[in-house]
Amino acid sequence: MNSSLILMRLNLVLLILISVIGCTHQEDSIVSTQTSTRILQIFNWNNYIAPETIQRFEASCDCYMKQDYFSDNEEMLAKLSAGATGYDLIVPTGNAMDTLIRQGVLIPLDKELLPNLKNIHPAYLNTQFDPGNQFSVPYAYTITLLGFNANKIRDLGLPTDTWAIIFEPQYLQKIKGRVTVLDSPRELLAAALLYLGYAANDQDEAHWNQAKELIIRAKPFWAAFSNTSYIREMAIGDLWVSHGYSNDLFQAAMDAQKTKRPFAIDYAIPKQGAVMSLDSMVLHKSGKYPDLAHQFINFMLDGKNSAELTNLIGSGNPNVTAKPFIRSELVQNKVIFPDEDTFSRLEMITDLNSTQRRILSRIWTEIKLR
Amino acid sequence: MVLTSFRLPGEFGGLVPIHILSEDANENPGLTIETYQFFFSDFIYFEIFIKSFAVATLTTIICIVMAYPLASLIARSHKKFRHLMIMLVVLPFASNFLIRIYAWMIILGPESTLSHMINSILSFFGIAPVTLLFSPFAVLIGMIYVHLPFMILPLYTNLEQHDPILLDAAQDLGASSWQRFWYVTWPQSLPGIFSGSALVFIPVLGMFAIPDILGGTSDIMIGNLIKDQFLSTRDWPFGSTLSIMLTLMVLVIVGLLSWLARPGTRTI
Repeated sequence: MNSSLILMRLNLVLLILISVIGCTHQEDSIVSTQTSTRILQIFNWNNYIAPETIQRFEASCDCYMKQDYFSDNEEMLAKLSAGATGYDLIVPTGNAMDTLIRQGVLIPLDKELLPNLKNIHPAYLNTQFDPGNQFSVPYAYTITLLGFNANKIRDLGLPTDTWAIIFEPQYLQKIKGRVTVLDSPRELLAAALLYLGYAANDQDEAHWNQAKELIIRAKPFWAAFSNTSYIREMAIGDLWVSHGYSNDLFQAAMDAQKTKRPFAIDYAIPKQGAVMSLDSMVLHKSGKYPDLAHQFINFMLDGKNSAELTNLIGSGNPNVTAKPFIRSELVQNKVIFPDEDTFSRLEMITDLNSTQRRILSRIWTEIKLR
Repeated sequence: MVLTSFRLPGEFGGLVPIHILSEDANENPGLTIETYQFFFSDFIYFEIFIKSFAVATLTTIICIVMAYPLASLIARSHKKFRHLMIMLVVLPFASNFLIRIYAWMIILGPESTLSHMINSILSFFGIAPVTLLFSPFAVLIGMIYVHLPFMILPLYTNLEQHDPILLDAAQDLGASSWQRFWYVTWPQSLPGIFSGSALVFIPVLGMFAIPDILGGTSDIMIGNLIKDQFLSTRDWPFGSTLSIMLTLMVLVIVGLLSWLARPGTRTI
């Protein structure tokens, strides 16, 4: 009895402490609004802007930047629908941006304020999600591809330029239990459809079922469905092949290099094609400073600032003036700067309607259960 | 939740608002039993339910077997140590649940000491090496590890109240140690077992984080399915339907258990 009373008191003290800390923190932020006139609120992916870029922008605009983070588009959409407001700028992927546009919550861009828009390679403009770029400016992109432990795959004599390595039992039996695929119905289905020779956005149910059979046949050889843990597992050598995002695999490669592992992590775009996720900057209606947001977009379109992000996380770069600022070992990387042939094999995923989503979920459930 | 399960999924996720649909009642009734038809039209969802129930039952049984000796040890030990032992049981709660699960990822990983040890023993007997992580086994370990304290604590509170005089009396009447346990201690501890089982069984049934992190390619449970409906498929009505079916089944099982455990059915 006595001990529980003490515990209760301790809890009370802690609560009071927390609320006091909370209060002082709030006061801090009030003070900062008073001293600096403007705060640019950004809703961004985690680790998706270089710290030095932020510093330089804050110095140039005499304002502060505040970021909130999301880890996937669905989360971002859900938070906005649940009433999150105050964001001047959001960085969604194509199909999520499409949703935001159709919901009518974005502000059209004023191109007069964006002279640097000419720096973007025309291939990344005028996408199906935002024809004429009324609302969006490309920021950076990631490609869903195959990452591999270069030394192991060389020793085993396996190909690295085809989806077959994660779908064909003849290859898989050599790497059983050392493969992961993404825990994402759309991404995995896209990979299977591409391998079968269809488009990543194919919406024919018969083709989906074919893809399902392919996945179920390959599944016993996979270790797991993984969206994040594969980064670490690749970097320490537990995994040899993974279906993953180029940014994440770049991080795994860097980690393996930094910790001086006796192997290298590499990644490549399969010859059948791959999914590209182009993230764009858009202005949300609830933002307070649209002019400041325009200024930020124009700032990010500058080659140097855009290059800093690529140097940090290995993201694909749509900016033609960024190349001189990119680290020399990354310039030749086809994932960051795809050549025309590679680019023609990249596809962006479009959104499905609710009936299609339910059918896909049914297929996904069956895949997960078998 | 009940209402949601009868509604239509919205284009962007969420729900189709009812008032918009009422204007165009012929095309879209706004409320529908279609979601339930979809659920019952397919055996696959039942399979997942059955599988989840199996995992939850197995976890509960193993928790009982593991918790019982420990709880009675704590209950019988000297008062001085009791609090310390309870503290030790509760200690893991001091760190975050997800961190503890990630720790198991490292412990069970293919390059871990434990894996090497087990595989070297297996290879000594000529058995092919096994992978511990990303398997049903890893999920079960995670489930048991996380929920064991929830079984120990109610059992301990129950066992602590037992009167040792009853055991002495039984011994005096010539009962063996097994008989003393089975006819005296066990029946008295049933309430503790039932409350512990409820505290373990129900959370395990809805758990999605452990199968996600430790599970392999076939370790989906209802929790994962429901989570997917809300987050990736954005199909709130179907997610609600699944939740309702889960709640109903849990109620039926708890009702059945408490009916079985009702006092007076057991002849001692």
